[in-house]
Amino acid sequence: MADEITPQAPMPSEAPESGPETPASTPANASAGRPPSAGGGHGPGRHAGPRPAGGLKRGKRNYPRKKKVCRFCTDKVDLIDYKKADVLQSFVQDRGKILPRRITGTCAKHQRWLTVAIKRARNIALMPFATEM
Amino acid sequence: MEERIYDLIFICRPDTPEEEIDKVINTLGHTAAEKGARFEKVDKWGVKKLAYNVKKLRQGAYVCITLRSGDGGLIHELERRLKVTDAVIKYQTIRLDEELKRQQKLGRRREVRAARRPRRSAPATAGEPGAAAVSTASQAAGK
Repeated sequence: MADEITPQAPMPSEAPESGPETPASTPANASAGRPPSAGGGHGPGRHAGPRPAGGLKRGKRNYPRKKKVCRFCTDKVDLIDYKKADVLQSFVQDRGKILPRRITGTCAKHQRWLTVAIKRARNIALMPFATEM
Repeated sequence: MEERIYDLIFICRPDTPEEEIDKVINTLGHTAAEKGARFEKVDKWGVKKLAYNVKKLRQGAYVCITLRSGDGGLIHELERRLKVTDAVIKYQTIRLDEELKRQQKLGRRREVRAARRPRRSAPATAGEPGAAAVSTASQAAGK
């Protein structure tokens, strides 16, 4: 779990400047293309780590997926009630963490409302902050 | 100030007798009435299990009050009262009117869109050009 997170974590901040050049350069000549960009601030070694790993993963995942649909959109929900803890319960992990959108398939708008509702429910002890094990 | 709608939830100790909970609700109601607010709905959920321990208690008696008030100071006063009441272990007030307004707006928009849909299949009948532009915008939003 922890070693999965560490290579992905620096990606969002580095993506804008390293993104355009990586598709053009293969791993062999990547080192040649890097010195000019090294002046951008990040150390050159930092790009080398996450890139190949990310590329490999994406290659493995190259199969059609069933698109997830936002459950609130299909039900045409305009207000997520924080008092209905049983509904919110299906959007948190067993430990009580809020599940990300990429797992539940919730749309951005409803995820925004959902997190607020879950946090309100937590505050009034309808939902746990973290379940003790 | 226009009226606002609030949700006030408080949790009493599970061993609190029913009369005492009613007394708390009544005193809150009087305070609200003095400030010109009114309780729209009072819901007693009964004793429920808490998701985590509050003041070393595992259970609590929930009371949910929906109130309408034009005075924000009232909420301050109600919360102060709840804080000094021994039977109450937790409380939360939430302003609901903006979300309800948004809900109504989205509901209305959905109705309008549903009504417009058959017209889109027969564009020749659409007289105003503005309506056509809006319908294409909604079409794009739908995608």
